[in-house]
Amino acid sequence: MSQKSKTINLYKTLLYMGKDYPKGYDYFRVRLKKVFEKNRYETDTEKIEKMIAHGNFVIKELEALYMLKKYRTLKKRYYE
Amino acid sequence: MASIAVDRILLRSVCLLKNINRLSLCRSAVIGQFDHRLIHAITRTPVFSQNLLDLEVKEVRHYSSEAPLTINFIEDRVLLVLKLYDKIDNAKLTLKSHFITDCGLDSLDHVEIIMAIEDEFGFEIPDTDAERLLTPSNIVEYIANKKDVYS
Repeated sequence: MSQKSKTINLYKTLLYMGKDYPKGYDYFRVRLKKVFEKNRYETDTEKIEKMIAHGNFVIKELEALYMLKKYRTLKKRYYE
Repeated sequence: MASIAVDRILLRSVCLLKNINRLSLCRSAVIGQFDHRLIHAITRTPVFSQNLLDLEVKEVRHYSSEAPLTINFIEDRVLLVLKLYDKIDNAKLTLKSHFITDCGLDSLDHVEIIMAIEDEFGFEIPDTDAERLLTPSNIVEYIANKKDVYS
């Protein structure tokens, strides 16, 4: 898989993950776009590889965020 | 003596008659079943043969199934999705306009468009195919191929 297709795949996955973002999908989408565009002229393959790894880390963070959100909502319903 | 003999013959014949009656009853029951089947066959066959005569497949559409797609309908839906996307200029958009050169989008916008199309038509487009879908007409063609629409 080339780095371009990897990046596009990452962007797509992140977009999917952001659909239920607590602050809204549009907020997430605009930020995500900005972050990707900030590094659009990067040519160093090692740096790009690091960034993709960071993107995958963000995906995991988002998953954790959703788990936490769900947990908090359930807890709130039980104890309040 | 003669009267007794006549009686016996009468008795026997009555017995025979009974047997015959029974037999015939059985037969009529069997025939009844056959008739039932025949009736079914008769009610079924005309529909079938008519379809054969018409030589066209009549589409049976159930309540739960979606409307049959046509190329024009796909075109309208694709264009509607693209018009709803905020970065595309509605006036410039035609079926032949190229997303990146004509509409001034970048590859990230292109990914978003493909995702919107996926949501609209309810199936996933792999990245390798998505790279080639650079004009609305390409997308229409691709969806028509995937959904087996040829008219």
